Amino acid sequence: MRRIFSQARKELTQLVRDRLALALALLLPLILLFLLSTAISLTVHNLPLVIQDLDDSTASRRFASAFRSSISFHVVAWPSDRQPERALTSNAARGVLIIPENFGWLLARGNRVQVQLLVDATDSNTARIVQGYVNEITNAFNQDSGAMAAASLVGAQVRLWYNPGRDSPKFYSPGIFVMGISMFPALLAALTMAKEGEQKTILQVYVSSISAHEFLLGKILAYMAVAGCEWLLGMTVLLTVFGLRIAGDPTPLLVSSVLYAFCVTSFGTMVGARIPNQAAAIQTVALGGFLLVFLLSGLIFPVENIPPGLRWVSNIVWGRYYLEIVRDALLQGGGWPATWFAVLMIAVLGAVFYALAWLGIRRMQVNA
Amino acid sequence: MSATHPMQRLRALTRKEFNQIRRDKRMAVSLIIPPTLQLLLFGFALDATVSNLRLGVIDWSRTPESRELVSSFTESKSFRLGGYYTAAKDLELAISRGKLDAGIVVPYEFAREIRRGRPVDVQILLNAVNANTATIAQGYAEGLVLMYNQTLATEGIHPRIRSLGASPPGARGAVTTVTAFLYNPGLVNVWFIATGTFGVLVILNGSIVASSAMIKERERGTVEQLLMTPASTTEIVVAKIAPLFVLLMVMVMLAIGVMRTAFAVPVRGSMLLVVLSAALCELCGISIGTFIATFTKSAQQAQLTAFFVNPPLSVLSGSLTPVEAMPAFLQPVTWLNPIRHFGIITRATLLKGSGIDVLWPNFLALIGFTLVLVSLSIWRFRKQLG
Repeated sequence: MRRIFSQARKELTQLVRDRLALALALLLPLILLFLLSTAISLTVHNLPLVIQDLDDSTASRRFASAFRSSISFHVVAWPSDRQPERALTSNAARGVLIIPENFGWLLARGNRVQVQLLVDATDSNTARIVQGYVNEITNAFNQDSGAMAAASLVGAQVRLWYNPGRDSPKFYSPGIFVMGISMFPALLAALTMAKEGEQKTILQVYVSSISAHEFLLGKILAYMAVAGCEWLLGMTVLLTVFGLRIAGDPTPLLVSSVLYAFCVTSFGTMVGARIPNQAAAIQTVALGGFLLVFLLSGLIFPVENIPPGLRWVSNIVWGRYYLEIVRDALLQGGGWPATWFAVLMIAVLGAVFYALAWLGIRRMQVNA
Repeated sequence: MSATHPMQRLRALTRKEFNQIRRDKRMAVSLIIPPTLQLLLFGFALDATVSNLRLGVIDWSRTPESRELVSSFTESKSFRLGGYYTAAKDLELAISRGKLDAGIVVPYEFAREIRRGRPVDVQILLNAVNANTATIAQGYAEGLVLMYNQTLATEGIHPRIRSLGASPPGARGAVTTVTAFLYNPGLVNVWFIATGTFGVLVILNGSIVASSAMIKERERGTVEQLLMTPASTTEIVVAKIAPLFVLLMVMVMLAIGVMRTAFAVPVRGSMLLVVLSAALCELCGISIGTFIATFTKSAQQAQLTAFFVNPPLSVLSGSLTPVEAMPAFLQPVTWLNPIRHFGIITRATLLKGSGIDVLWPNFLALIGFTLVLVSLSIWRFRKQLG
């Protein structure tokens, strides 16, 4: 036990001496948390919209002003003699609304009037949102003017749970938090492990009285401490800046956080032990920690949308399970019944990484 | 060979760089294979489409009317049936445990009120943890209810409603919108992701490869040997950049090939414009890499520094998420990002068929960035050697 702690202390002393690594460990996760959480979002507001009013009547102007006063759009001026598509090809607007001639006249007669909406669908997600916004505004306009009383017998009362303001940072910031914790402790652990192999200092470890398990656990413990610091800093930011709070039972989060710190540092140590080349180790951890966790964990894009051929991969992406737990603890509050499986999977994956790291050490010894 | 011509020197240096790369097969491979894989993976995995949301149903009405409404939800592509519930508490629990994404509650008096022609509300519960899914799902749900209303008004389960549906004299007409999705009528999400990833890959790979190539010479201490040759620092840098540029161009062509074949991205504008701006983008990436290399002592440090530079570059580009969704103070910053301009050019040219007549400001900006970044990196390189 004492040997484990002294090994851990040695690791931390080395880390504190390397300023770049220290900044990477503590500063970068915070910078990323701020930057990515505020910048990554798919819910667009204030989209540029061109309105071509071919009618220019009181009714059509009232219709147009419904769009002017919404926060979803800002109306861009566009000369009526220019092709409306030009507004889309030149990126001046995301959509064009064309109000036909006789709009006011037809409305007053009680007819149904069709308004054309051209949407730039290069970004299909935004295109869907534009369509949804326009429909909502049109419905509100219809109801306002008392049209078609019979047509809206059934009303939809939509309740948005857990995040009623549809605040994107609330959804993404736990994800970025998980990404930071997945990547940097693992990266540092992989670097030192690869360095031991590259500079052959691993030989000194073999001749010392420390056992392979003690050596590994010492290293893992040191970087778990780093992960713990990141966790505290990140959680403080989540709770203060992004206005999240612990919803429900915090014990799944606490238990899984310790397990997850073990899991990611074991992953890093494993990579370092298997690939005794620092540059290659960095690339592998970046690929595993960043690409897999970023892409296949449901951080931005839902896991259900990944094609089935790739989706099974996300079952072994450790970040996915931790992300589920963090989101549950901060937003939904489902507690143990909702998260026990994820906690279990993190423990299993951590044990697998540890075993592989241990085997890697053995092999290094044989090769050395 | 006392008075060598500058062109000759440059050619000799370039040949040296090419030979070095030819011997280091790993670099050439790592330049071409991972980006192609990344493009494929990003294209397949990043999909924000909202479909098949699991819907829990509480139907307290248990009438043909209510079943009609529920089936209009579950038969749409957007929702699928996640189960029937009898108590609101159970539905709530299922949503909070993540078993359901949405719920619909039809009240007891639903059919009775409709038959009497009185307005009635159904409650729709959405798990809004994912803001984007919630926004789109809300749109879907409201659209479905609207359609249900229209079927009530036109076909009508009950003659009574039919008569109510016809607008009484004096009532005002309603506005309906007819939406045309231009340039991507099938709303293929991968067209957006692939064209965005393209720019990110060009710049990031350019910078990674350039920084490792520059650092290698320094780590081995062979820069001094180069300096003793009659070549000027500018010539050394240019000769270093040239082969990287050629290799990256191969990557660009491969990426375009993948976009065309794997994702069927259309080419509606001039390919030349895309390739030209890709070339400019590469130069930007290479310069960023060279710039990073001049500040760091080892390959490992350069790679770690890249972690500070790359995420902001790729996120603040509008390549994977729309710029309009960023907070207002960050939106102007994106104009300083070459990836933003490249993304606009690629998307507009490939998907919309726009030409240089509308894209010239972005093209000009790219030229500007390239000039600034290239001269900045040459200046740093020189200063560092001096």
